Amino acid sequence: MVFLLRRLGFYVIAFWACITLNFFLPRLMPGDPVSRMFSQVQSQMRPDQVDALRRLFGLDDRPLWEQYFTYIGKIFRGDMGISLSRFPAPVSEVIGSQIGWTLLLGGTSLAIAVVLGNFLGVLAAWRRGKFLDSVFPPLLIFVGSFPYFWLAMAALYLFGITLGWLPLNHAFSTGLSASFSLKYIGDVAAHLILPALTIVLVSIGGWMLGMRNTMIATTAEDYITMARAKGLRPARIMFQYAARNAMLPSVTSFGMSLGFVVGGALLTETVFAYPGIGYQLLTSVQALDYPLTQGIFLTITAAVLAANFLVDIIYVRLDPRVRVS
Amino acid sequence: MPKIHPKRSLTVVAASLAIGALALTGCTAGDTSGGTANGGGSSSGLLTIPREDTATFTSNFNPFSPKALPMTQQSVFEPLMIVNPVKGEPVPWLGTSWKADEDGMGVTFTLRDGVKWSDGQPLTADDVVYTFELQKKIQGGFEYLDKVSAVDAHTVRFDFNKPYAPGLYEVGQQVIAPKHVWSQIADPAKATNDNPVGTGPYTQVSQFETQSFELDKNPNYWQPEKQQLTGIRMLAFAGNSGANLALQNGDVDWSDQFIPNVQKTFVDKDPAHRHFWYPTTGGTINWQLNTTKAPFNDPVVRKALSMAVDRDQVTSLGMSGYTHPADCTGLSDVYTTWRDQSIVDKCEWTKLNVDKANQMLDDAGYKKGADGIRTLKDGKPFQFKFSVGSASSDWLSVGQIISKDMEKLGVKVEVNSPDWSQVVSGYTDGSFDSGIVWSNAGATPFEFYRGVMSQKVVVPVGEKANENYHRFGDPEATATLDKLAATADPAAQKTLVDSLEARFNDVAPVIPLFSGPAWGAYTDQRFTGWPSSDNPYATLSARSATTVLVLTSLKPAK
Repeated sequence: MVFLLRRLGFYVIAFWACITLNFFLPRLMPGDPVSRMFSQVQSQMRPDQVDALRRLFGLDDRPLWEQYFTYIGKIFRGDMGISLSRFPAPVSEVIGSQIGWTLLLGGTSLAIAVVLGNFLGVLAAWRRGKFLDSVFPPLLIFVGSFPYFWLAMAALYLFGITLGWLPLNHAFSTGLSASFSLKYIGDVAAHLILPALTIVLVSIGGWMLGMRNTMIATTAEDYITMARAKGLRPARIMFQYAARNAMLPSVTSFGMSLGFVVGGALLTETVFAYPGIGYQLLTSVQALDYPLTQGIFLTITAAVLAANFLVDIIYVRLDPRVRVS
Repeated sequence: MPKIHPKRSLTVVAASLAIGALALTGCTAGDTSGGTANGGGSSSGLLTIPREDTATFTSNFNPFSPKALPMTQQSVFEPLMIVNPVKGEPVPWLGTSWKADEDGMGVTFTLRDGVKWSDGQPLTADDVVYTFELQKKIQGGFEYLDKVSAVDAHTVRFDFNKPYAPGLYEVGQQVIAPKHVWSQIADPAKATNDNPVGTGPYTQVSQFETQSFELDKNPNYWQPEKQQLTGIRMLAFAGNSGANLALQNGDVDWSDQFIPNVQKTFVDKDPAHRHFWYPTTGGTINWQLNTTKAPFNDPVVRKALSMAVDRDQVTSLGMSGYTHPADCTGLSDVYTTWRDQSIVDKCEWTKLNVDKANQMLDDAGYKKGADGIRTLKDGKPFQFKFSVGSASSDWLSVGQIISKDMEKLGVKVEVNSPDWSQVVSGYTDGSFDSGIVWSNAGATPFEFYRGVMSQKVVVPVGEKANENYHRFGDPEATATLDKLAATADPAAQKTLVDSLEARFNDVAPVIPLFSGPAWGAYTDQRFTGWPSSDNPYATLSARSATTVLVLTSLKPAK
């Protein structure tokens, strides 16, 4: 319990540091939102509109530290302000409308990559030097080291255009509207395959290799030999004895990745025109949309910290040594 | 109002990669017209248009919002007049006629009879008056507008507080919103207007999803015979590559984002149906030199640098041949009717002539050193930066071509390409050396010349400039501009613009490079009646004032 409280204290400080950086970093960038907007639309706006737009957006001219305290106060009231690049939508609404897709895409691909990668890693280590062990790790690392953009384009071209098996873009077909019908869910699933598949392809190698390596170290331990000597079933030794202990580093990485899922997958979103936080973050940074940038970073920060805290808790459960110390 | 070009942000690079990948692998997208996994709009009679600058849509049909959804200003709400930049002439729309005061102190518009809002109420002069009240309050601008008043139900009078003849086109192009709806809204600046009431052809939001929305026919449109589409469907894309792919695959009908090598990647797949038309009706793209820094305060230097620029190479290589070199009037093709041919015939400093340029710099006292680099008068080497946003790959190559050209002069130009925001931030505070820049747009050349050489828009270095970043003001041009603002007589205007052209030719405030092309590509498989060079009733832009002209001209293909 003391351990968990100490960790919690650490997270509070980390959170404060993060929101402070969130506030100052975007403001260090040159320019201001209105002149950015101006440069983006170029001659579409009249120069004499600049001041009115500054007023409309409620841009602050107060000293930074005053703005900082207002900002901290608002965060604790759960008020993230109004997005400038999507004026007048509130930041919470902009994030809310996209985060579902990000969680769906990121969560699905992470779950598949982790489960499949770890399982392959366990098997590869268990049958060391056999087919699975000698072919898969190099192959997956090879695929994973392709530039993601290229891989995604190639997959899109092959399955989307040439073969025509899978949809090219968007999260569901145009013309459909969100509902709990089988047709809609099936359509969403079909649109999810390509984006998720490409993410799994590039990330699975790391999971497999990591698991395989710790697993090899674990299988050399005396208690494994002991378990074999006792004549336990190989499957039981593999999963209950070896894999469970080899899993600890994977759990840590899983926690980290889980937190970062919230940040979205920029390249995937761009190639497959999939909705999500990644592209939104990019456009909000480009537009110097302080409230939205802060809101997204805050969400990511909170998610990463929460996921890490979750891992801490799970660790206590998985690793008795943590409980004792 | 002409559009320089739809946003290119990160996407040009992405798009080139995408198209490159497809071209390499021998794309066969053209064969799958309509029958794609996505379904497109192929069976529905909806005109499908992509938007490349937003991954998702957030409902906002507020005409007073700077962030309104696409089609708000194009299909839902309409202006009094539409200026077609290709022909350079105004088309009467909600206003049937107008009369500008001789002294430029005001204008009177007559409204069209029988126009109804989509909820059935009639359009009246009060709507126009209320629209301008709101627009001034929310978005600003129109500072010259003293008073807008309804003379009778169909006549609106605009009184200016100073002579400002170009105001005719500015007030004329403001989209009009209904008073009976907007006077009921508590905070019009922040309203999202989810179910808009407008006078446009397609106003009814029939479906709104994260990545698409549909607008159906306005049941009370004033020219029902021109509503030949079932409706309009907009699709959201995170970047050009996705939107271009949808276009290549036949999922969309009309698309106005930048397409690299459009002939090969798009048209050649189905030449019978696929077309593009890039009229050069954007504003002039200029190379601006910061005239607060020596030696750029010297017109001889500006002209000499200009003469060393190989504009043919700039347009054919840098701009993929989508445009042509500018001349010494600085005017883009929007203003073809205003251009004084006698000045154009005698253009010198916008034509390639490296020997003459070298001669001019020698005479002006910028001697070449032993290393072939010229020295400035303060003894420093003649070298400076050329700023351009990294995302605009075409303009970046323009910068590189210019940098190479300058070597022949013994001038060292370093292409500096950070993010656009950083470039613009240098422009606004006046700390930049030189860079590529767009120019002001307007129905007449007034806005362009005011933006590049009026003393009234020059602010000191350190203060924020929103135009005239190069900070050049010319007393003679300023006086002529004042006179131009105060005359409504077309013949007198022409004479004054001619003298502005001559003055531009004399002082070279910026180095004009080329007219910006207005992108646009379409397939006429499902709809016909598109604008083209033979019938230039509008541009192919889906996001400008002329878009509604296209929407009301298209017909389903037989």
